[in-house]
Amino acid sequence: MTVVGITFALGALLYAVACAAFFVHLSRGTKLSARWAMRTLAAAMGAHAAYLISDYAISGRHPLEGIQQTLAVLSLIIALAYLATVRRHGMTAIGAFITPVTLLMLLGAGLRSSLPPVPEHVRSALLPVHVAMNVLGLAAFTLAFAAAVGYVIQERLLRTKHVIGVFQRLPALEELDALGGRFVTIGFPLFTLGLVLGIVWAAQQSALSAGQGFGMLAWLFFGIVLLTRAIAGWNGRRAAIGTMLGFMCAMAALGGYVVRGLGG
Amino acid sequence: MARELVVYGISHHRTPVSVRERMASTAERVSEDLKRLLESEVISEGVLLSTCNRVELVAVTEQPHKTREHVMGYFQHRASPEPVIEYVYEHAGTDAVRHMFRVAAGLDSMVLGEPQILGQVKDAVALAQRVGTIGGTLGRCFDRTFSVAKRVRTETEIASGNVSVSSIACELAEKIFSDLAGRKVLLVGAGKMSEVAARSLKARGASLTVINRSPQRAADLAAACGGEARPLEALATELANADVAISSTSNDGYVITYELMQGVAKMRKFRPLFMIDIAVPRDIDPRVEGIRNVFLYDMDDLKRVSQANLAAREQAASDAEQIIETEVRDYGKWLRQLELTPTIVALRERVREVVQREKQKALPRMGQLDPKVQQALDQMCEAIVGQLLHKPLTQLKQSQDGDESTALVAAVQQLFALEVTPAPTVPPPSLPENSKERGKP
Repeated sequence: MTVVGITFALGALLYAVACAAFFVHLSRGTKLSARWAMRTLAAAMGAHAAYLISDYAISGRHPLEGIQQTLAVLSLIIALAYLATVRRHGMTAIGAFITPVTLLMLLGAGLRSSLPPVPEHVRSALLPVHVAMNVLGLAAFTLAFAAAVGYVIQERLLRTKHVIGVFQRLPALEELDALGGRFVTIGFPLFTLGLVLGIVWAAQQSALSAGQGFGMLAWLFFGIVLLTRAIAGWNGRRAAIGTMLGFMCAMAALGGYVVRGLGG
Repeated sequence: MARELVVYGISHHRTPVSVRERMASTAERVSEDLKRLLESEVISEGVLLSTCNRVELVAVTEQPHKTREHVMGYFQHRASPEPVIEYVYEHAGTDAVRHMFRVAAGLDSMVLGEPQILGQVKDAVALAQRVGTIGGTLGRCFDRTFSVAKRVRTETEIASGNVSVSSIACELAEKIFSDLAGRKVLLVGAGKMSEVAARSLKARGASLTVINRSPQRAADLAAACGGEARPLEALATELANADVAISSTSNDGYVITYELMQGVAKMRKFRPLFMIDIAVPRDIDPRVEGIRNVFLYDMDDLKRVSQANLAAREQAASDAEQIIETEVRDYGKWLRQLELTPTIVALRERVREVVQREKQKALPRMGQLDPKVQQALDQMCEAIVGQLLHKPLTQLKQSQDGDESTALVAAVQQLFALEVTPAPTVPPPSLPENSKERGKP
């Protein structure tokens, strides 16, 4: 097994362990459980970074060159953004909803494409900027998604009066709603720029596809969430559902690119 | 004589409140009682724990029978004219240590796992320290007691969840608002339970507004709770401003109707509102629960949460008891080790001392000795010491794991007239640093 393979497998395994550790923390909520979950995540991120570096060193492939590499970079940025969030706002518990996403993205990155690299004559300055903006936007949306999932669960538990159990240590509704709103606000302009650049580039190459359709649908959902929050006071559950739908459309768009990359 | 740890006490389990209230004491009274108890010299160290649910004396004595008589006399004097002796329980040795660990961990409390008892035990120990009735033995014991209580509370779910209405109200409010500081609490009506819940929320930094049909009653309650009184006509406006609303009136019908709340929700732009209806019959129309971002809990809901939390604590109790058994065993072993080591050292020194003394007496009579003979003589003396002590020391070390260790150590000390240096005094633990340990029951 190569260095790339080992670091990849180690990263994936550690993300899986971190996910389990965060679920334990969700139910126990002690400082010890939080510490173990964060340490496991840090170890996973270390292996993940080693995978990216070794892949680049050996293959010479630019980190944002293909969809698989992009997925790997995106998942690491999500984990980094989560760490920064915990540092500022606490809410370690939402790591239980972040780590499955980072794990799935890393696993997706392991599915190697049979497509050749983008030909020289169609490359333009737009492409890396489009990819980078989408990556940053999606990272913010992932955190918003995690907060939204937490909100929906916490709200459900409060409504059904089941306040003890696996999810008993979720943060307060207000905190989760505020976090979700904040990250949609951060991600939206980035994602908008990424989407516009992507459409322009694709139009130049006559390469518009269904992927852009899902991307636009995601943009629409997030836009509605922002607008209704600001104008109609649609916070709380409605905003959370909108965020989750937007995120799923974004993931469908991403998934479409992965499948296209695999199928050739 | 061997020093023994004993516990004598009464508690809510069997003792009626009429007896317990006779025994309840202020800190000054506890200080006086401790001094008087130790004046007799039957007890060498003592800590007196006095709470609304228990009065316990933890003592160290070398005369257990006299101590019993002395302590029973004290209990009867305090409880007089109520009879108390039939309610007094007693523990000694390992059982006393087990009892202390269980009490501090909240396993013997009226509300299983409640956190106040640990703070109360720490206060009792601090008081005994000030009075000068706590020494090395009790100091070590309570030191271990506090770390066991902390371990139980950290490693089990014994302290998780809340069981009283007021603390459940705070817990649920914190699931919606995280920080209650600066939140507005509206109290509708004048029920005692709602007042207690409102006070708990106020203690966490919330501001309080009181509405009552009687303006005087509202003003009185607001003054007592540190809040603001408003007239009944302001109900809709105050509901629009509040974050938490607690209702407990004696009204027959709904005080807060669905139609009223629909308007209120729009006024507050559907900001989250936590409503607690403690009244029976209910004050708040149950349909209100269907309004966006309104969370309504009535008495049945609060009782269900309380029962679920209590059930979780009871499940955790068996884990807690296992931890305590392990700790009791380890403490006993550690204590025996503590008593044993100085005794072994003293015994070796005593025997060596005797052998050396006789050797020094005999040497002048032997004249000038060859260095090899001198060496052989020294080796023989060491061998005699080793052979003489081998069996007794092996027996002493093996007895560490059993209950006879203390008696054996005392017997060795007595038989050989050993002067054993006691283990250094452990200063009693400090008072709790924050009020969270005394927080939610």
